[in-house]
Amino acid sequence: MMYSWKKILREIPVNLALIAMVCACLFPLYWSLVSSLKGRAELFETKPTLIVRHPTLENYKMVLSLTGGSQIPLFLWNSLKIGLGAVAVQFVVASMAGYAFARMKFRGRDLIFYLMVLMMFFPRVGGLMATYELMDFLNLRNTHIGLILLFPSSVSLSLLIMRQSFLGVPRELEESAMIDGANTWQIFTRIAIPMTQSALVVISILMFLATWGDFLMTYTLLDDLNLFTVSIAITQITGWSMIYNSTLATTYGSDNAAFILAILPVILVYILSQKWFVRGFQEGIIKL
Amino acid sequence: MTLPNQDQTLFSDVRRAFREVKREKPGNRLGYLFIAPAILLFLVFQGYPILRGLLMAFSDYRWLVPETQGLFDLNGLDNYRALLQDKTFFRAFGITLRYTLVYLPSLLALSLGTALLIARVRSPRLSGFYRVVAYIPVVLPISVSMMMWRQIYNQEYGFLNYFLKTVLQIQNPPGWLSDPAWAMPAVLIPDLWLGFGYFTLLFLIGLYNIDSTLYEAASLDGANGRQQLWWITLPLLKPIITLVLITTGGLASAVVPVLTLFRVPAGPEQAMLTLGVYGFQTAFSIGDMRMGYAASMGLVTGLFSMAFSALVFKLLRSERS
Repeated sequence: MMYSWKKILREIPVNLALIAMVCACLFPLYWSLVSSLKGRAELFETKPTLIVRHPTLENYKMVLSLTGGSQIPLFLWNSLKIGLGAVAVQFVVASMAGYAFARMKFRGRDLIFYLMVLMMFFPRVGGLMATYELMDFLNLRNTHIGLILLFPSSVSLSLLIMRQSFLGVPRELEESAMIDGANTWQIFTRIAIPMTQSALVVISILMFLATWGDFLMTYTLLDDLNLFTVSIAITQITGWSMIYNSTLATTYGSDNAAFILAILPVILVYILSQKWFVRGFQEGIIKL
Repeated sequence: MTLPNQDQTLFSDVRRAFREVKREKPGNRLGYLFIAPAILLFLVFQGYPILRGLLMAFSDYRWLVPETQGLFDLNGLDNYRALLQDKTFFRAFGITLRYTLVYLPSLLALSLGTALLIARVRSPRLSGFYRVVAYIPVVLPISVSMMMWRQIYNQEYGFLNYFLKTVLQIQNPPGWLSDPAWAMPAVLIPDLWLGFGYFTLLFLIGLYNIDSTLYEAASLDGANGRQQLWWITLPLLKPIITLVLITTGGLASAVVPVLTLFRVPAGPEQAMLTLGVYGFQTAFSIGDMRMGYAASMGLVTGLFSMAFSALVFKLLRSERS
């Protein structure tokens, strides 16, 4: 990287502007992190400071030690359950259909595929209301199963990615397996699926992030506080209406600890997934 | 996500695949079995609501009045006549329009500006870092981000007003979340914050796809940076600008930010009652939960977005020829 330092120096004004952008992007997160690590005395000094002098995990301990209903650990668990459930459903549905659309020949295949992809651009007038009615009719409103089925049902993008990926699997591999007597299901599970790892990881990450962060659908479909995901619960229990039975003064730190806990999985998944997205681009799976 | 100019490659892939699959494959019928779960899930949870929502937009569907909920209990254009009489609707429309007129240009300028800056960073590691950071607000759960912004805005404890008071010496910093006059900027800032990274990424892909020899040729001809931007970069980014404008969908309602940022519904004195928020309230939190009426608002908004998209296509295409 030595060669580039001179060039970087020449790019100082550009980099200064971009550093300002980085600060603006990260400031809310930083402020929350700092506040969550401050003890009570430090939190309520008249001049708020940008650094923590005496970091403490007290706030996190408090938030995580509250067990039972309507508490952060339960909400985190709910989010995880729905996220992993949706990822699992999508894994099965998108890999099977993607494989069929890429490799099997049957009547109307391409027509069906194109209709599904085009639906991505179809406006959803009253979709929220209609989904609410549908979920109520199916007795899936106020259940986690309902959300686990609802999120992966927008299959357009995942089908597009999976089909593209299966098309990239060398045909010879499948043919030689067939000569060895493997049936379609065996070829699909033993050869095709392992060969499309990065696409499966990419669609799983996208699904997990979308599920974890969803507000409107989840908020509309769930009424029972004990079923809430962390993303919607956080708007109900922190800030001004608190469950900790205390004044604003003592919840500032724990609120922030709750925020950080709510975004930590997302940040981790996002950072760790970078290499999969790069690989996805390289393999030509993701066409942007 | 396919860029308009890459559609061709996608379609040719399909054609090639179509020819290749001519070879005989075992288990033709098995294909239907493989796609059945996806099709079923899609038809039930996406296909049906699309059709049902359209029907709802022409009926007086009220959630708390079961008699109004028949599939074909249509009331023609009654909803739209009611909308024309609805002062709140027009107020919401005005707020949405004003918000959009600030939001869209700011979003374009911010994301295009950031992309242009990042494209000038030559170290791949550094530009990668900037790209990753700009995208972080996009992946965060909106509601949690808004709770963080709420703290920044807080009049007594918030960092923003502390900063305005001590650093910029402003004696009476605004009550961001309590003053109706400041409600719109209070929504605008976090809304831009959480959205610009996505469009920056789109613009960056467009910028990286521009042939660098074009710039070299232009420099040889004596074109300065601004001329290159105006005559090379912007014209070649047109497909992306089109995509960005269409993805934003025309009217911006900032539904989730408004719902989560303010303590009172739609902000102080309902200053941020946008169309989306009004629709959401109509369907889910006030009166009989008039879902049909809300759906018809959705249809009106949708028609505006479609008209907007058509306009964008027309303007950017006619300029090209």
